[in-house]
Amino acid sequence: MSRVYLPITVDHIARVEGKGGVEIVVGDDGVKEVKLNIIEGPRFFEAITVGKKLDEALAVYPRICSFCSAAHKLTAVEAAEKAVGFTPREEIQALREVLYIGDMIESHALHLYLLVLPDYLGYSGPLHMVEEYRKEIGIALELKNLGSWIMDVLGSRAIHQENAILGGFGKLPDKATLEEMKRKLKEALPKAEYTFELFTKLEQYSEVEGPITHLAVKPGGNAYGIYGDYIKASDGNEFPSEEYREHIREFVVEHSFAKHSHYHGRPFMVGAISRLVNNASLLYGKAKELYEGHRDLLRPTNPFANNPAQALELVYFTERAIDLIEEALAKWPVKPRDEVEIRDGLGVSTTEAPRGVLIYALKVEKGRVSYADIITPTAFNLAMMEEHVRMMAEKHYNDDPERLKLLAEMVVRAYDPCISCSVHVARL
Amino acid sequence: MKEKKIRIGFYALTSCYGCQLQLAMMDELLQLIPNVEVKCWYMLERDSSEVEPVDIAFIEGSVSTEEEAELVKKIRENAKIVVAVGSCAVQGGVQSWERDKPLEELWKTVYGDAKVKFQPKMAEPVSKYIRVDYNIYGCPPEKRDFLYALGTFLIGSWPEDIDYPVCLECRLNGNPCVLLERGEPCLGPITRAGCNARCPAYGIACIGCRGAIGYDVAWFDSLARVFREEGLTKEEILERMKMFNAHNPKLEEMVSRVFEEVKE
Repeated sequence: MSRVYLPITVDHIARVEGKGGVEIVVGDDGVKEVKLNIIEGPRFFEAITVGKKLDEALAVYPRICSFCSAAHKLTAVEAAEKAVGFTPREEIQALREVLYIGDMIESHALHLYLLVLPDYLGYSGPLHMVEEYRKEIGIALELKNLGSWIMDVLGSRAIHQENAILGGFGKLPDKATLEEMKRKLKEALPKAEYTFELFTKLEQYSEVEGPITHLAVKPGGNAYGIYGDYIKASDGNEFPSEEYREHIREFVVEHSFAKHSHYHGRPFMVGAISRLVNNASLLYGKAKELYEGHRDLLRPTNPFANNPAQALELVYFTERAIDLIEEALAKWPVKPRDEVEIRDGLGVSTTEAPRGVLIYALKVEKGRVSYADIITPTAFNLAMMEEHVRMMAEKHYNDDPERLKLLAEMVVRAYDPCISCSVHVARL
Repeated sequence: MKEKKIRIGFYALTSCYGCQLQLAMMDELLQLIPNVEVKCWYMLERDSSEVEPVDIAFIEGSVSTEEEAELVKKIRENAKIVVAVGSCAVQGGVQSWERDKPLEELWKTVYGDAKVKFQPKMAEPVSKYIRVDYNIYGCPPEKRDFLYALGTFLIGSWPEDIDYPVCLECRLNGNPCVLLERGEPCLGPITRAGCNARCPAYGIACIGCRGAIGYDVAWFDSLARVFREEGLTKEEILERMKMFNAHNPKLEEMVSRVFEEVKE
């Protein structure tokens, strides 16, 4: 007689952004099916912004996600500026990148310390760690506060920045504030390095070891970074951002309000580790040194490498922001904005959000958005994430279900998914 | 005798998680935590349950699926005080911007003919389904909104609502007027204060993220008249005002009235 197996389910994965669950179906021959149920409601961001005035649509896009609102804002603004045929001045671009880095620092610090670390220390959540891990929580708060303060100063607030607009900024901080920003970043550097050291010590589970195709934006300049007009894949391919639809196919799966994506017919990964896999040769400074010393840890074959990769980026982006502020200060005083003539056109922007490649394609006609397509890193990652949860489940389906649940959640958390992002959802 | 701790829960419906993030990012949280028992907060705590009784339930997000409509009812049954947090929970959020378009049309634009096993709904505020005792406004709420509400609840009192517009704070700060001096469609005059006029201070027109002031003092019509003089059409005015107020029962009627007045 065959046994009856109950599915092993986590209804609501804790310590991730958004609402999703894991369902592992086991049969006589082992794991039959693994599903990441994305149950957060759809928000139709493309549909609600089509037909709207460009500036109003741009005010709404960051609301797709709070963890990476600056990423959404700045990517949408770049797509819009490309659509209308406007190129921002170099110093404006540098300051926008600093704002973007604020998001990167805050998001990585939050993810690593508050969402990931508790699993490794045996806690159900960071709120219980306060007594025993005062130093770690303190560093988490300091880094996160630095990130939010940068977004506050340059973006008008830490969540849902309104200050980044077509043509530049509504208002720029004064020189003294930017000097202060540099000083604070310098002070944060040892804390970022401490974070990297800490995360090099955490286990990377061999159960999920295997080949992964990584996609990342190819940085536009000669430094590892956020903006770029080409997408690079670890299989050696490279293509212009506008051609993303020819290489990445999206499809609806019945257990998710977020679509899944394949690159050339296969799941793939984006995120901090994917950036390192594709662009590590463009690192410099302390981060380059650390990378060279830990290449085995930061390998392309394990999703858990995304955690130390984010920690390494904390070091890199802290240094990078200082350089970018200096670039802007060299041209001081900087005029906050240029007039932008709103012409018709289509613009595609690809940037590296904290969680990986973010794509905005916006078409503008008569000052209004006539087409919008947004694909977020988490939507890209869902198919690969399911595969890795399956690999974990195949090794542990006979263990205590609670143990399997935790391990499955840890795989998901390593990806740092942003579920709200993924369910805003793109059109076919 | 050990003092009984106040039990709180933070629940998420469909949203960007920004309200929770704002609270999670507050250093003051460290002072709050020893004084409360967190029964549910999935964003930070694995040991969470949506069905445990609590003293205060904070709900973020709009009701956007049938499952969420059921969940809010359960939360209400289990909570002494229900607080709607942020523009999605209070006003239905930006996802309500196109509430006049049928759900099927929105679904088709985004998902095509494909089906998903969960039941989507048009986004609605939490108060559409259950009694809400207090609102925390904003997209996201300011940190001081949380401090004030939590502080007041913890001493057993009741926070007061804000009944004056962003304009008031903006004037007190001496910012140049985005609406009258620059002719931009600033929603400061009808929007609930509390943000210290954050956006106008950056020279950016208010988009109304804290929602229209209650108590019938949001004068949509007066502002629509000013916008009309700046050359905006009725549709443009409604579009802008609906970004965060799509469920407001007075908005459409008051704006329409302005356009029915004698045209010169």
